[in-house]
Amino acid sequence: MRNIWLVFKHEYTRQVLRKRFIMVLISLPLIILLSGGVGVLAVLVMMNNDPIGYVDQSGLLSDPVNLPDSAGLSQAVGIISYPDDQSARQALEAGQIQGYYILDANYLTTGKVTQVAIDPIGENAQGDFTTFLRANLVKGMDPKVAERLIEGSSIEVRALEDVTRKAGENDWVNLVFPLVMGIFLMMAVNTSGGYLLQAVVEEKENRTMEIVITSISPDQLMTGKILGNLSVGLTQLVVWFAVPLGVFFGVRPFIPFLRDISLGGSYVWLSLAALPAAFVMVAALMAMVGATATETREAQQVAGLFTLPLFVPYWLITPLIESPNSPLAVGMSLFPMTAPVTLPARAAFTLVPAWQSALSLGLLYLAAFGSLWLAGRAFRLGMLQYGKRLKLAELFRRQEA
Amino acid sequence: MTSVVVDQITKSFGQQRAVDGVSFAVEPGEIFGLLGPNGAGKTTSIRIILDIFKPDSGKVSILGGAMDEAKKNRIGYLPEERGLYQEIPLERCLNYLVTLKGLSPAAAQERINPMMERFDLMDHRKKKVKELSKGMQQKAQLIVTLAHQPELIIIDEPFSALDPVNTQMVKDLLVEERNKGTCIVMCTHQMHQVEELCDRMVLINRGKSMLYGSVNEIRRQFSAQDLLVRALNEIPAVIPGVKETSAHNGLTRLILNEGVAPQQVLKAMVEMGVVLEHFEIATPTLDEIFIQVVKGEGARQ
Repeated sequence: MRNIWLVFKHEYTRQVLRKRFIMVLISLPLIILLSGGVGVLAVLVMMNNDPIGYVDQSGLLSDPVNLPDSAGLSQAVGIISYPDDQSARQALEAGQIQGYYILDANYLTTGKVTQVAIDPIGENAQGDFTTFLRANLVKGMDPKVAERLIEGSSIEVRALEDVTRKAGENDWVNLVFPLVMGIFLMMAVNTSGGYLLQAVVEEKENRTMEIVITSISPDQLMTGKILGNLSVGLTQLVVWFAVPLGVFFGVRPFIPFLRDISLGGSYVWLSLAALPAAFVMVAALMAMVGATATETREAQQVAGLFTLPLFVPYWLITPLIESPNSPLAVGMSLFPMTAPVTLPARAAFTLVPAWQSALSLGLLYLAAFGSLWLAGRAFRLGMLQYGKRLKLAELFRRQEA
Repeated sequence: MTSVVVDQITKSFGQQRAVDGVSFAVEPGEIFGLLGPNGAGKTTSIRIILDIFKPDSGKVSILGGAMDEAKKNRIGYLPEERGLYQEIPLERCLNYLVTLKGLSPAAAQERINPMMERFDLMDHRKKKVKELSKGMQQKAQLIVTLAHQPELIIIDEPFSALDPVNTQMVKDLLVEERNKGTCIVMCTHQMHQVEELCDRMVLINRGKSMLYGSVNEIRRQFSAQDLLVRALNEIPAVIPGVKETSAHNGLTRLILNEGVAPQQVLKAMVEMGVVLEHFEIATPTLDEIFIQVVKGEGARQ
């Protein structure tokens, strides 16, 4: 155990203290923060909470219903009535309002509204005036009907053959989240697997492995290496998720549409359950490739064959979304290489039968243990075969060295 | 307790027989030379001793029995091709590799520091390994081999990449270790190092053991009835009892006829008026023995 811990610690610190790793670790959240920041900045720049005015030539707004006050960044702007264009213009020039609207005398038939402003009116103010107009158009109606007319419908998409599917349009985050989560997961798995692959091939190439295995057993070395590099990937994953989630929960109280979003669903625990097995499986396969290859470039080419299937669900995302219980979708959620992304993605679109989830996770863990076994064998057989490639068939055939 | 007993080990890779019935034993407190040309099976033999490879047949006993995980901490190994982590600072690399031998990081550092001082590496301890010269890396590798004070040291070409000063330092270190009772198995091509350092040796060629015994005994076995002489005046071209004369490193080599004793030739030379300044019985160097054995084996093949 002590030796595994020593190798684990060495592998972990060796990777996380590398400049390249720190760059990758920081750059993704930075990009997210920057793009999010630019987006928020753009919204803030386009917002203007100064009052707006209107001149009602149609008589529609003679006894207006005002918008309720709201908290946060986008509280409703004041809407002031002016008897004529002249007085509204004076208020605009005096800086009392950011702009004003003139409702045409035939507004109800033409829908014509003229906007007058020195600088563009803030997007929030434009939205508020539109809502204000709608609220007054439906004044006097049954409040429930009026609310539906203003807020529209909540459309739930359901496939013809799948009565369990319940993807409401307000749940878009819960549909997108598992896919984004899958991308992050695959990136982290590939990164840690890549580091492991590189570490194994390098140690084999520069003969460090020969020194180490005269001190500890090959199994201890392999276990420590896999755990160390898995932790590197997990560190990456935690940082990548913590920053966007921190930003999300940080700004959520201030942005109304974010307040309506709630994260959660079976995809979360399915993702969490699949995560360790996916990590171990890919890492072990990378270790196996590293131990059997003769040089880094060759190892990376072969490793590509193992990581490619992980991204297949994204190529087939349209049929997966359209028919999440189709044989293709079920098959992909059972196949260990595609299951880590397909299973949580399906769970976001449909109610995955419990037996399928259980079987999928069972197969995934079985594949992880199988990969570990293969990696162990490859490690023992291939670690000292300098300049000579270990054939896959030999992994199953040969006696231990 | 004999430190290493290798008994009739064989190992093949496919059709290629790398080691073919090699046997030898090494005692504590001796430096043992494992010699042989390239591809003779030396490294494979070492890997079998270290339990990296399992032999196809034969047995190895190490420090009193079969190899196990606990014994790994009692062995120091310096492979022919050095292996250090290139991207990390020297001090961290050494500490990690020494802690794998069962020492705590603090204890490892206590052992490493004086050795870094001795090898003039202290000022370079914060540098990445890849920034060090080959010679420095070689010395660092020796620290990894010796820092945990092993009972058995197996070293493959320990003097490669070292300058004469550092070569002498390493020789002194190996002699110190031997004097402390450590068993040292040294694999090398450099015969003069074997002559200088080794007590006993085995010569392997094409996987087979060709010579085995004490270095002096082997040299005696190969010594011919030749004389090396130097005279203050000219040495006659014809000397009774001498078959052939030739120049040899500033001396004259006299190859004697069968059954002629060196004393008879020396007496004849003195009687012929030769003023001898130096004479010795020509004992072949290990280099000569090595070439003779390897070439002879090659001719037989």
